[in-house]
Amino acid sequence: MTQPLVDVVGLETHFPVRKGLLRREVGAVRAVDGVSFSVERGRTLGLVGESGCGKTTVGRSILRLVEPTGGSVRFDGRDVLATGGADLRGLRRRMQIVFQDPYGSLNPRMKVRSILEEGLIIHRLGGADDRLERMTRALARTGLTAAALDRYPHEFSGGQRQRIAIARAIVIEPDFLVLDEPISALDVSIQAQVVNLLVELREQLGLTYLFISHDLSVVEYVSDDVAVMYLGRIVERAPAARLYAEPLHPYTLALFSAVPSVEPGRRRRRIVLTGDVPSPARPPSGCRFHPRCPLAEQVCRQVEPPATVIDGHAVHCHVAARELQQAGGDAAVAAARMAALMAPTAASASPAAV
Amino acid sequence: MPLLEINNLVTAFHTPAGRVPAVDGVSLSIERGKTLGLVGESGCGKSVTAMSMLRLVAAPGVIEAGEILLRDATGGVLDLVTLPEPQLREVRGGRIGMIFQEPMTSLNPVFTIGDQIAEAVLLHRNVSRAEARGRALEMLELVRMADPKRRLDEYPHQLSGGMRQRVVIAMALACEPDLIIADEPTTALDVTIQAQILDLLADLRQRLGTAILLITHDLGVVAETCDDVAVMYAGRIVEQAPAHELFGNPRHPYTIGLLAARPERRGPDAHGAGSGFRRAGPLRTIPGMVPAPQHFPTGCRFHPRCAFARMPECSGVMPALNELKPDHFVRCSYADALGPPRRMDGTAEELA
Repeated sequence: MTQPLVDVVGLETHFPVRKGLLRREVGAVRAVDGVSFSVERGRTLGLVGESGCGKTTVGRSILRLVEPTGGSVRFDGRDVLATGGADLRGLRRRMQIVFQDPYGSLNPRMKVRSILEEGLIIHRLGGADDRLERMTRALARTGLTAAALDRYPHEFSGGQRQRIAIARAIVIEPDFLVLDEPISALDVSIQAQVVNLLVELREQLGLTYLFISHDLSVVEYVSDDVAVMYLGRIVERAPAARLYAEPLHPYTLALFSAVPSVEPGRRRRRIVLTGDVPSPARPPSGCRFHPRCPLAEQVCRQVEPPATVIDGHAVHCHVAARELQQAGGDAAVAAARMAALMAPTAASASPAAV
Repeated sequence: MPLLEINNLVTAFHTPAGRVPAVDGVSLSIERGKTLGLVGESGCGKSVTAMSMLRLVAAPGVIEAGEILLRDATGGVLDLVTLPEPQLREVRGGRIGMIFQEPMTSLNPVFTIGDQIAEAVLLHRNVSRAEARGRALEMLELVRMADPKRRLDEYPHQLSGGMRQRVVIAMALACEPDLIIADEPTTALDVTIQAQILDLLADLRQRLGTAILLITHDLGVVAETCDDVAVMYAGRIVEQAPAHELFGNPRHPYTIGLLAARPERRGPDAHGAGSGFRRAGPLRTIPGMVPAPQHFPTGCRFHPRCAFARMPECSGVMPALNELKPDHFVRCSYADALGPPRRMDGTAEELA
C-alpha cells in the first residue's frame, strides 16, 4: 500500500453559534462532523451532496482556510493541523484551491500578471525573468496566451476567468487541488471545455484532485472515487463506477433519481424525498437521514449507522447493511433490493413536511 | 388558437455604447394547458423575452417591435405590447402569473406569507380580507405546504428555499391565471427539492389546466417537464419542436452541441455496466464562447462556433426558421443537408 497523499480522519469543523449581549456560545453548527477519507496520489475523489451538507467546508478545512475543530488531516504524511508558520506556507504551496465563482475569486483591481505573480512571490519561486516564464507556461496550459498578463479580469468571459483561476492555482506547481464547484457558474457550452482542461492537466501534471460538486454526471466523469455527503457526514463512498451502478444508501438513490435526464425513456420514476435538509445546528439523532428516509425504522432513529464495507464500497445505513448481509455480500443484489424498496410510493403526494 | 402568441418581438437596450438587441425577432406560441420550455445560455435573451411579455423590461430596455397576443376563452384578444397600463396591471398576476428564480426577491421580508398571498387576491378579486385570507390558506394547501395554517403567519425568512418557492407558486396561482411564466424556478434549489417543485408544477398543471412557459438553461428539466421546446441563441430562436422530437432528433448544430457536451449519467439502472467515461475520451465541446448582445456575429449568429459552418454563406445571411418537418422548426440553412444525427449525442463525423 502506498501512502495516500491526503488522509483525513474524523474531521470536524463546527462553527460556534453566539447569542446575546456577551456573545455567549449557545451551540454549534456542525458543518463537518466526523468525515474520513483518503486520496491516493494522482487520483480524484469526487465529493457530492446538496447545499449545506458540508462539502465546501471539508475542502476549506483541509487547506485550513477555515480551522477544523477536531480530527486530523495528513498531507503527504505531514500533520496539516499541527503545522504553523513557514511550514504551513510550505504545505500550502503544494495544495491549492479553485473556487466556484470566477467573478468573485479574482481581484478586479489586479492585472492577471499580479494575480499569478502573487503566489510565486509569497512562495519565493523564481527570479523576475523566471517568474514570467512560469506564468506564461501556466497560462499556456490553460489555453491562454501571455497577452492575458496585462489585462484585468473583467476583460475576460466567465470561462476564461475560470482558466485564469486555474492558472493561478497551478503556477506554483502544487500536487493537490481542491476544486470547489469549478464549473457550476459557467454556461453549459463552456462547462465541457473546463472539464476537459481539468482532466488534461491532471494527466499532464500528475495532479491529485478533490472535486467538489453537486453535478452528479460531471463528478462521475471526472472522479475515480466518489463520496456522498449528507448533513456533515459521508453516507456512502465507492469507486465511481460502482457507486453509480450499485448505489446502496437511500439518500444516494434519491439524489441520483432526482437529477433530470435528457435521455428519452428515462423520464422515469423519480424518488421524491419529502421535507428539507434539517439544520446542521440540530442534526437528528441516530442516522441523520432518518427524518426524510422512506425506509427508516426504529433503530435508524436511535443508533448512528456504522460503515459497512464490501470491496471498497462503504455505506452507512442499517437497512443497506441488512440487505448486504442477506445477499451474502453481493452488492449488486443488495443494490437492486434497495432500489426496489425505494421505488416511488405515494410519498410524492404527501405534504412537504417540516 | 394558441393561448398566447408572440410575433417578431424585438426588445433592445439603448446604452451609451449603442443599441443592444437582446431579443431580436422572437416568435412563440403557447397552447392552453401546455408547457413550453424556453432554453438557452446566459445572455441569449430568454429572460428578456419573459419580461417583455408583461412589459416589465426596465429602462433603457424598449420593446421596439412585435406583438404579444393573449386570448381569452371567448375569443377576445389583447395585444400586451400596446395595452394601456391599467388593463395590463390586471393581466399581471391576474391572467398571467410569474415565478422567478430566487424566491426571496419576489417575497417581501416584512410581511407574513398569508398577507402576501392575500394581497395578490385582493388586487384582482372583489373579496373581503377574510375571504382573501381563506384563499391564501387554500393556496398553501394546494401547493402541499406542510402545516399551512401556521405558515400563514410566518415570515419568509422562517421558511427554507423550497418552501419559499412553494409560496411564490401559491401567489402566482392565487388568481387562477391561464398562464404561468416560470423563469428558472428551480435553479436556486437543490436537486431533491427541485424534484419536489417540478412534481408540484406538473401536478398543478394537470389539475388546473394552467399553461406554463418554463425558462431554463437545464435541458434535463425541460426534457422531463415540457410538451414543446424552443432553443434560443443570441437573441433568436434557433430550433423549436415537441420535446420528444427535439431530444430524439435535434437538428440545429447548437442544440446538438449542447446535448453532446453533457456527460450523460448511466445511473442505477445500468447494473454492473460501470460508467466507463474515462474510456470515452474527452467531452465534446462547443468551441468559443457565448457572444454578448453588443457583438452578435453577422449572418447565422452561431457560425463562429459551428463545426459545420460553410463560408461565406453562413457568415453572410441570417437563415430563416424553416419547418423541417411538421412542428419542427430549425434556423440553419444546412439542417436538411446535414441530416439527422444518427445518435442523440451525434458527433461531427456522424453528421458530416
